[in-house]
Amino acid sequence: MDILNSLLIPILNPELLGLIALGTFAGIYVGAIPGLSVTMAVSILISFTFSWEVYPALALMIGIYMGGVYGGSRTAILLNIPGAPAAIATAIDGYPLAQKGMAGEAIGIVTVVSFIGGFIGIATLAIFAPPLADFAIRFQPRDYMFLALLGILLVGSLSGEGLVKGIFAGALGLGLGSVGMDPLTYTERFTFGTDALRAGVSFVAVMIGMFGISEGLMQLHTVNTPSVKQKVGRVIPSWAVVRKHLPLGLQTSSIGTVIGALPGTGGDIAALIAYDHATRVTKNPEVPFGKGAIEGLVAPETANNAAVGGAFIPMLTLGIPGDAVTAIMIGALFIHGLNPGPMLMVEQPDMFWFIVSALGLANVFMLIFGLTGIRAFVKIVEMPRSVLLPVILLLSIVGAYAVSNSLGDVYWMLGFGVFGYFMKLYGYPLGPVILGVILSRLLDDNWRRAIISEQESLWMLLKGTLASPLSFVLFATVILIFLSKTPLWGMIFRKKAN
Amino acid sequence: MQTQPRRPGELVFNILMLAGSLFLLWSAYGISGFEALSAPGAVPMVTTLAMVICALLILRDTLRKSPVTGEKLERDILPLPVLVTIAMIAAYALLLKPLGFVPTSLVFLAVMIRYLARCSLPRAVLLSVAIVALIYLVFRLVFTVLMPAGIVPEGEIIAWVSGLFAAEGN
Repeated sequence: MDILNSLLIPILNPELLGLIALGTFAGIYVGAIPGLSVTMAVSILISFTFSWEVYPALALMIGIYMGGVYGGSRTAILLNIPGAPAAIATAIDGYPLAQKGMAGEAIGIVTVVSFIGGFIGIATLAIFAPPLADFAIRFQPRDYMFLALLGILLVGSLSGEGLVKGIFAGALGLGLGSVGMDPLTYTERFTFGTDALRAGVSFVAVMIGMFGISEGLMQLHTVNTPSVKQKVGRVIPSWAVVRKHLPLGLQTSSIGTVIGALPGTGGDIAALIAYDHATRVTKNPEVPFGKGAIEGLVAPETANNAAVGGAFIPMLTLGIPGDAVTAIMIGALFIHGLNPGPMLMVEQPDMFWFIVSALGLANVFMLIFGLTGIRAFVKIVEMPRSVLLPVILLLSIVGAYAVSNSLGDVYWMLGFGVFGYFMKLYGYPLGPVILGVILSRLLDDNWRRAIISEQESLWMLLKGTLASPLSFVLFATVILIFLSKTPLWGMIFRKKAN
Repeated sequence: MQTQPRRPGELVFNILMLAGSLFLLWSAYGISGFEALSAPGAVPMVTTLAMVICALLILRDTLRKSPVTGEKLERDILPLPVLVTIAMIAAYALLLKPLGFVPTSLVFLAVMIRYLARCSLPRAVLLSVAIVALIYLVFRLVFTVLMPAGIVPEGEIIAWVSGLFAAEGN
């Protein structure tokens, strides 16, 4: 009964319902317009909603997340420019369809399969998160430490130019997260004797700088690229088309959910793996892959939307973000005084069921908004970037200032924006920086708890790790990721392959 | 193994990353030295050590790369629009308190749109007024974000508008 009441909160409250609808609608545009990303939008939004009650703030952010992941496919199909990394695979077959004058059909099928994928991800979250949280209560501090490391390493190894730059970025994030007073001993860390650093570096300023300003500066390189215009015909797909691709959609939704649930991975990786899966299991596609195969749309789009529900699983049960957006959402929950992790599920189960319900509603709104107003949408997407970019920059500045009415935060944001711009130019991934900032406290606290409980002995910690199956698996995975990137590993497996 | 060529400025950036990492490692050592594994400086020392090792490996790879042909620092890394935008954001931050949100935002947007879109000044100003009005409505009135009023007597204007509505109500 309590669960039902929590599920009904966003449904029965018109304000929350409206915010989810508004968020989803805005998310579709944010995700679709090249130069705007969901991560950027959610980071800016946190600064404006931090004074709100937690439910309305979460409702808006969840809507933007859900709509944004789907919205990226729109420009991938219409302009061959994925609005978000999760839509990269969608462009491979979506754009050829648009060139054949079938943009409407492509958008229609993508919308329906995104809804199916989203639904499977959310259902998995609802079914598996509560028992996982029960299990996670028994996790030892060392397990959390390994999980945090795993998250940073996975994001680092799967993005940018390789693991080394990923580890550098993750370590930088961990360092940034530890600036200020140590919460256990009140020792100053990286403050260099300045008052401004004693309270730590503003998480929102880092986030907006790295994802808003740096992205804006990158977009200046292609600011005057003319946009491609497409005609849009029939949108709603026939039942026969949906039914034909349902089995593949179910398989790739499962792939998306599982990959989304792995700490540190997200919709972009899920979409690419699902696309690869589709090319292997589809024996005779009507149209070859890369030339406009419907299967090439179904696989990535079911997977990236299923990954949304999946990404919430580690976030809500372990306090470990599934991807960069959930890392920012964890930051939002912290700002609202909540502590994501197994205890959140025990102490505030209503929050969990509210999130499930809000995700479900956002998924329904995505279907409604996705199948309507596409012709008007095409006009807005064609808006010149030379006008859009100054607006994004202005919103970023206002967002950074609004958190604590401090110009200092604006300078921090600008500094991190310029730094992030150079990092991007030279192939450093930015995702691990944010993950590092978010996970720094978790890693530091749990390392200290773990080592104190083993009487400050590394040998005892190793023995404890090897004796516990869970700790052992996590530890082995961390080591495996390191080893898999060494030249020795490459030599062994190249020999075997030959 | 495929290696990308070295971009202009990449070597300098990676040298700076190494120098910065070494400085941070030294600062992390200064927190609590080798006092204990659970000391407040233990994790910062490990993370900054990881940064130093990675920065060294990255620098080694950068030195091995051959310089890219056809790219220039002033055109492909720091083109004029990027420098102008950074300067404009810094100027915005400097002028926000004394001038206030509305005039600073109007000037920022008008200059940026005129510069990037190369449209006429009246068109840029008109667009800026519409965008600032929308942002003001959404963020100041709906999200209730407090922004510096500066030279604009914002309080008096809001009171005057509220007074108008109150008079109509009577």
